[in-house]
Amino acid sequence: MRPVSRIAAFLVAWSLLALASQSPGQVYQGKELVKAELLADTSAIVPGKPFTVGLLLRMAPHWHTYWAFSGDAGLPTELKWKLPSGWKVGEIQWPIPLKTIDPGDIETYGYENEVLLMQEITPPQKLDDSTVKLSAQANWLVCEKICIPGSATPQVELPVSTTSQLANTELFARYRHLLPQNWPGLNVASTNWSSVGRDLRLKITSESLAKYPALDFFPLPGPDIVVGHPTIESHDANEVIFRVPIESSQKNLSSMPGLVVFSQQANGEDRAAWRISVAPTISAAKATPPARGIFTFLFFGFLGGIILNLMPCVLPVISLKIFGFIQQAGQSRRKILRSGIAFTVGIFAWFVGLALLLIALKGGGRDVTWGGFQFTNAYFVLALSVIVLVFALNLFGVFEISLPQGMTRGLLSTTERKDDLGSFFQGVFATVLATPCTAPFLGTALGFAFSQSAAVILAMFVAIAAGMSAPYLLLSAQPAWLRFLPQPGAWMLHVKQFMGFLLLATLLFLLYVLGAQRGLEGAIWASCFLLVVSVACWMKGAFVLPTASLMKRSVVLVLMLALVVGSGVYFIGGKFRSSNLALADSRLRGDWQAFTPERLQAELDQGHFVFVDFTAAWCITCKFNEANVLESSEVREAFQRHAIVKLKADWTNGDPAITKLLQQFGRPGVPLYVLYPGKNEEPIVFPEVLTKGMVLEKLQTAASRVAAQ
Amino acid sequence: MNKKVTLTVLTSLIATAIFALDPPPVGSAAPEFSLPDAKGQDHSLAQYKGKYVVLEWFNPECPFVKKHYGSDNMQKLQKEYTDKGVVWLTIDSNAPGTEGNLTPEQAQKIATSWKTHETALLLDPDGKVGRAYGSKNTPNMVIISPDGKIVYHGAIDSKATPNPADIPSSTNYVKAALDQSLAGKSISTPQTKPYGCSVKYKSS
Repeated sequence: MRPVSRIAAFLVAWSLLALASQSPGQVYQGKELVKAELLADTSAIVPGKPFTVGLLLRMAPHWHTYWAFSGDAGLPTELKWKLPSGWKVGEIQWPIPLKTIDPGDIETYGYENEVLLMQEITPPQKLDDSTVKLSAQANWLVCEKICIPGSATPQVELPVSTTSQLANTELFARYRHLLPQNWPGLNVASTNWSSVGRDLRLKITSESLAKYPALDFFPLPGPDIVVGHPTIESHDANEVIFRVPIESSQKNLSSMPGLVVFSQQANGEDRAAWRISVAPTISAAKATPPARGIFTFLFFGFLGGIILNLMPCVLPVISLKIFGFIQQAGQSRRKILRSGIAFTVGIFAWFVGLALLLIALKGGGRDVTWGGFQFTNAYFVLALSVIVLVFALNLFGVFEISLPQGMTRGLLSTTERKDDLGSFFQGVFATVLATPCTAPFLGTALGFAFSQSAAVILAMFVAIAAGMSAPYLLLSAQPAWLRFLPQPGAWMLHVKQFMGFLLLATLLFLLYVLGAQRGLEGAIWASCFLLVVSVACWMKGAFVLPTASLMKRSVVLVLMLALVVGSGVYFIGGKFRSSNLALADSRLRGDWQAFTPERLQAELDQGHFVFVDFTAAWCITCKFNEANVLESSEVREAFQRHAIVKLKADWTNGDPAITKLLQQFGRPGVPLYVLYPGKNEEPIVFPEVLTKGMVLEKLQTAASRVAAQ
Repeated sequence: MNKKVTLTVLTSLIATAIFALDPPPVGSAAPEFSLPDAKGQDHSLAQYKGKYVVLEWFNPECPFVKKHYGSDNMQKLQKEYTDKGVVWLTIDSNAPGTEGNLTPEQAQKIATSWKTHETALLLDPDGKVGRAYGSKNTPNMVIISPDGKIVYHGAIDSKATPNPADIPSSTNYVKAALDQSLAGKSISTPQTKPYGCSVKYKSS
């Protein structure tokens, strides 16, 4: 061995390679190691029509080149295209590599004998030349026992024509067959990542696994990530668990892209693979500043606050307040004004308190989302259901509320302070009850506020509170207007009872949300608990009377408590808690498919247009858009015509992957509609409220814009 | 539920123990060794306690090694830090019969003709030391602190190519780690993915 002459030869060879970059191959010590060639799968270029070009590397026997991740040694092959402007080139489509294990536990991923690295090329819509020459500089490392870097700039010349035939079909078919497939639907296979210390664990569940005795995971780590050798921890008939050791100290590494490779035996010719992409680093549209100014939003908040009074969840409390006014009509103006102000303060207190809490949470770095904060939590929905039901029973007259000297009695009380306190709590109570109605109706305005500064959040809540309390403040300031209201009488009782039914309607909505979150069973167990709560309320109304003895009242109260706590532990702590999270799949209808980040990436990789509907069972705006626009025959037809893949991201249970994406788009909640016109295009975000005309128009412009490129 | 967690933890502990062939993690104690240099003189890690020690895995046939020697990059680095009292041990773990394996004579010759500046060029034809450090590449760089802990493991620099023209524009991790260590600072990049040829170990 003459190492010195070798290194000299190497340096000479290196500079020669750099100079003679036209050379179609690599010759080392008189032996041809690698032959490089560019081939197209078409006989001619048709303007605007994508085609595939492949770099064919033919290696001398026993020499190999490397995959996108080369493993413990080696380097991936690189391709640098020199394309005229207006041409686009896709990513390298790497065939499934072979895994080689050398002494010393050195694992590498590469190709022996021959490999075709394909890339999709899209020519511009207009081409003036009659022939086009395409060339790319290819750099590779080829190794047997030693490694030699190589480089070449092969080219391919193709005529421009209006029609084309397939070319090199056998070769391209052979290598397309060796490409990994996109991850199949969730009904075929599911992945589950978890962390074990610094390492990752990947669980794959699929019935297809049983057919393949040899399974492996080929990782595709990002830059700076040092990955060890993936191993199989366990392998059952339809489940396999890989462990992927992470040797570098990355924080927040929760998954890793790669291939799950199957074959009858390791490195078998029959090998097939599924690609695992990771939550795509989708170029999220920058949080676009709203076109409408802050004051417009505040005005909407104010209007929303007024409208809130008419919502079935608020109207009952409000009607009580109005009755109060009617009864007070004869009293002094000052007293009425005080009561009105106390009520308003109650409303403000709740909203401002909520705003401060949210600001604090947001400042603490928590994920604050309006719907997420409340409606994705089944227990929150359950608690609201209880409040709504208890209040409905109160309106029906099943029992009287006699808490801080009683709301009803407080109304009639002669002491001003009691009266004020009563009004204050009525205000608070009205807003608590308003919560189920805010998510569906005020979501958008609040959503906007959440992406803004603390001051804007506070301003937004104050605007809503002002809107909600405006009618009472006006009425109490101008009691003369009260004469437009009818005289008190027996009708008030009927109205009150009727309002109870409005609350039951609200309860139905809440149960629907619970059902969407926890399935039919969850909704039934929650209803069982609600039934027991009703019985407790009835006991209170029937037996806890001021006339009853203290003894009797205490016994009944203890019994009530025992009933509620006991059934709470049994139905909610036991049955409801163990009811499974309802699968979003079961809510998919028609040609919609379940969204996962992997799925989105896979569809984009294939060059599909993808429309994602971010929705939730409790989101009324979403339901409205879906029923009237997305599911309308015109829009459905347009989706089909443009061959758009429709994915539904169901946020009913607050899926964190979806939360993350919502945040990338600067949205604190649903609805959100995004059209991805291909992998390299900026996603198009639709407004919260859709109309058919707008959706059709946007689909059309996106399609023609992409086609034009 | 809790049982399951315990079981998972146990399994992962066992798994970690089984896969201890992986490189000893940065921060752990550097495995002790003793190897002869080209003149037959033994060098042990213990004898250099109290000093920073650099381990460099070497293969004169490897284009990635040639990248750093052909450009004089490695020699400069060796000279700069041995002058500052750092011990630089170049190790050849390639098995006899493979490309890159050096006999003592070849080793002496190459050190002279390449004008290298390491403290010693050690011969590890059994691959024992290479395996103990989980060293898979040439070049692969390890830095050991005066108290015998691994403080850096990984590539020599940030550009994983065999092209010497890339050296000026890349970040030299070894230089950065040594400068930070000698200045009493903590190392900002203690671990990277080494790049290069594989070490040609003897089949075990």
